[in-house]
Amino acid sequence: MKNFYAKYKREILVLIATVIMCVVFTTINSQFMTWRNMLTVFQQMVLNSLLAVGIMFAILTGGIDLSIGCTFAIVGIAVASSCVGGMNPFLAIIIGLLVGAVLGLFNGILVANLKLQPFIATLGTMSLYRGVAYVVTGGAPVTNVPDSFRNIFNGQIGTTGIRYYVLVMIVVFIIAHIILSKTKTGDYLYAVGGNEEAAKLSGVNVKKTKYIAYIASGVCTAVAGLVMLASLGSAEPTAGISYETNAIAAAAIGGTSMAGGRGTALGTFVGALLLAVLKVGMVVINVDSFWQYVVTGLIIIVASYFEFVKGDIAAFMARHKKD
Amino acid sequence: MGKAVEFVKINKYFPGVHVLKDISFSVEEGEVHALLGENGAGKSTLLNILHGVYNEYDGEVYLHGKKVNFKNPNDAILNGNISKVHQETMVVEQLTVGQNVTLGYQPKKGPFIDFTKMHKDVDAILTELNCRFHSRDIVSTLTAGEKQMLAIAKAIYHHSNIISLDEPTASLTSKETEALFAVIEKLKKEGITILYVSHHLEEIFQICDRASIMRDGEYIQTMNIRETTQEELIHAMVGRSVSAVATRQKPCQAKEEVVLKVDHLSDGKKFHDISFELHKGEILGFYGLVGAGRTEIMRVITGADRKIGGKISFKGSEISGNWNSTKALRMGIGMLPEDRKTQGFNKLASNCDNIAISSLEKYMSGVFVSDAKKLENAKHYFEELDIHPRSPEYLTVNMSGGNQQKVILAKWMSTNVDIIIFDEPTKGVDVAAKAEIYRLMEELVASGKSLIVVSSELPEAMGISDRLIVMSEGKITGEFTDREAFDSDTILNYAIGGNES
Repeated sequence: MKNFYAKYKREILVLIATVIMCVVFTTINSQFMTWRNMLTVFQQMVLNSLLAVGIMFAILTGGIDLSIGCTFAIVGIAVASSCVGGMNPFLAIIIGLLVGAVLGLFNGILVANLKLQPFIATLGTMSLYRGVAYVVTGGAPVTNVPDSFRNIFNGQIGTTGIRYYVLVMIVVFIIAHIILSKTKTGDYLYAVGGNEEAAKLSGVNVKKTKYIAYIASGVCTAVAGLVMLASLGSAEPTAGISYETNAIAAAAIGGTSMAGGRGTALGTFVGALLLAVLKVGMVVINVDSFWQYVVTGLIIIVASYFEFVKGDIAAFMARHKKD
Repeated sequence: MGKAVEFVKINKYFPGVHVLKDISFSVEEGEVHALLGENGAGKSTLLNILHGVYNEYDGEVYLHGKKVNFKNPNDAILNGNISKVHQETMVVEQLTVGQNVTLGYQPKKGPFIDFTKMHKDVDAILTELNCRFHSRDIVSTLTAGEKQMLAIAKAIYHHSNIISLDEPTASLTSKETEALFAVIEKLKKEGITILYVSHHLEEIFQICDRASIMRDGEYIQTMNIRETTQEELIHAMVGRSVSAVATRQKPCQAKEEVVLKVDHLSDGKKFHDISFELHKGEILGFYGLVGAGRTEIMRVITGADRKIGGKISFKGSEISGNWNSTKALRMGIGMLPEDRKTQGFNKLASNCDNIAISSLEKYMSGVFVSDAKKLENAKHYFEELDIHPRSPEYLTVNMSGGNQQKVILAKWMSTNVDIIIFDEPTKGVDVAAKAEIYRLMEELVASGKSLIVVSSELPEAMGISDRLIVMSEGKITGEFTDREAFDSDTILNYAIGGNES
């Protein structure tokens, strides 16, 4: 247990902060702590958390993936067109995941083979992918996605109100957690992000590791795209604009280091949960939604400041224990 | 003469550690005073207190008889006239020398920087220091030695009368070192007090007047350099007698079998037409001055960089296609890089993870990597290589230089490679750890491994190698096949590009 605390200190602290926020919201309006409202929180966090866990893979290697919002749109369009054209919905899902993987791999090739700076490379593909989305659709949304597809994600477990896509999110996070903490790929991702040159000299296949990171980013984004498509029933070429910023925020609040090499799936999950609690809570207590931006910004700043000063606090405590 | 610096009962704590214990000694005005001790003895902490990096400590610091407690290093430079020249000099590469020297305190004309005056003032100082570069030069064009001079010029610009030099010769060529020593002599004549930290004892004997020795956070004694010997200094530093000189205790283990053969190798830039063989069980030394191209050759052999021409063969089979570090690892070749901090290990990872990263296949249980197996492996090597502290879960970055080196060695031993390349194996490693690394090299060849040792320290290259290759400016200029025939004058002559006389 002590080991668990040492390893996931940051995650536990963010979770505690989230619980405190819940208590505050409930004190102001007791409607916050209802089953229905909690479901809303989890439904709210699905899209952002899926995008966040994806972008976290790219960030772990010391990179970034700004193109996720656009990948999100393209996956939606591809799957919507397939379903509307009468394709088996499960086959359409596989196609969606493949499209995400390919778009991610393209980013990976730009970063690993052409050695472009990840920020610039994905800034390029961000515009490129968005352009493709517009060109393919002519700017118009793809509508009338059949229920056979939508029910796969939108269905509920019995009468609990828990939708399948919440389960999908949980499964994605469990897989991400296992990959990062239990597999060779996970160790390589942390090694490349922590010190790329040392990893290379240690015989780690740095290129392959980067491909995997960007493919993971693309695939997680694709899952988010599928969920979005299922709940809206249509795919817009304008979908997902600026979603990457919220995803980065969730990862950062959860303790992912922008320099790479540090971050966990659990952390990103609680980071996204905190943002969702904030969003829903502000609505429940009737705060103008514009204030959400202000509070989110402050939380990001406080969270990273806390990361910075906690070493100092530890030193301070140790010094005064001596006296 | 008075006391330039006096420490009185300095105590300093870090979380859980008592790093400085009752340190009291003084430094005379106008002397070159060495501060000696192993890594972790507390030298850097003491210097950081002196220069205002740490301002919370117990005890008192006096400069020229006046009690001081600087708020930060800038306060120390401006109000205490005391400067520190860092191990890795901190400069802004894109600015000119003058801008770097005056950074933050540029001469002004109204609201604007007075560049004419800046460059005139700085050039005057550079002339004084016999520097060959000028105030208007861009810093990125300077060599490591020149950057060191720049840092000293900065100290002079701020009228410092006490200057600390922390491992100033670590990245300098021997010529640059000579130039640095000449400048130190000159500063001394002008009454400037120098605090000198170095692991190179020969340097201490060359330029220092007295030496204060620290061990495990305690002050041991101050010795007069003229009246002591290298053995006495080492004994005081380590607390026992250790040979700082690289020597061989065991006979040569080299066999006939060739494990690595390099033919006419070239990278088109840093080295040309390199051919040599490495035998099983051999320690092959590569000596040369900094920049001779040795590291570049090793990086190509280990797949870190590309070759342009030539052939590399392992155990008789030539490598083909796209050669990279992953393939090199599979072939059984590993390298301990010169710059451990930037190339040797992951700063965010524990010793255990840094040791395991090249051999994850060994720790699988089913499809998953087992942390328990990794830990077991790390513990094994912590015992075998005597790594201190015995804490595989510690971050490698917090270990001392010698122990970091052992952690990287443990990584390669875990993969069971046959060929290990050591690039400057004892750089930034203290005396006791040096002796241990030499002992480990002997054990490695005794167990059938083959080693290449790249070294810029002649005693080390001569002391540890079975066979020695000398390089100059990207070419092999000499080879010595017999240990008994190593001759320092001839080797140096080859290293500076001279021909056999």
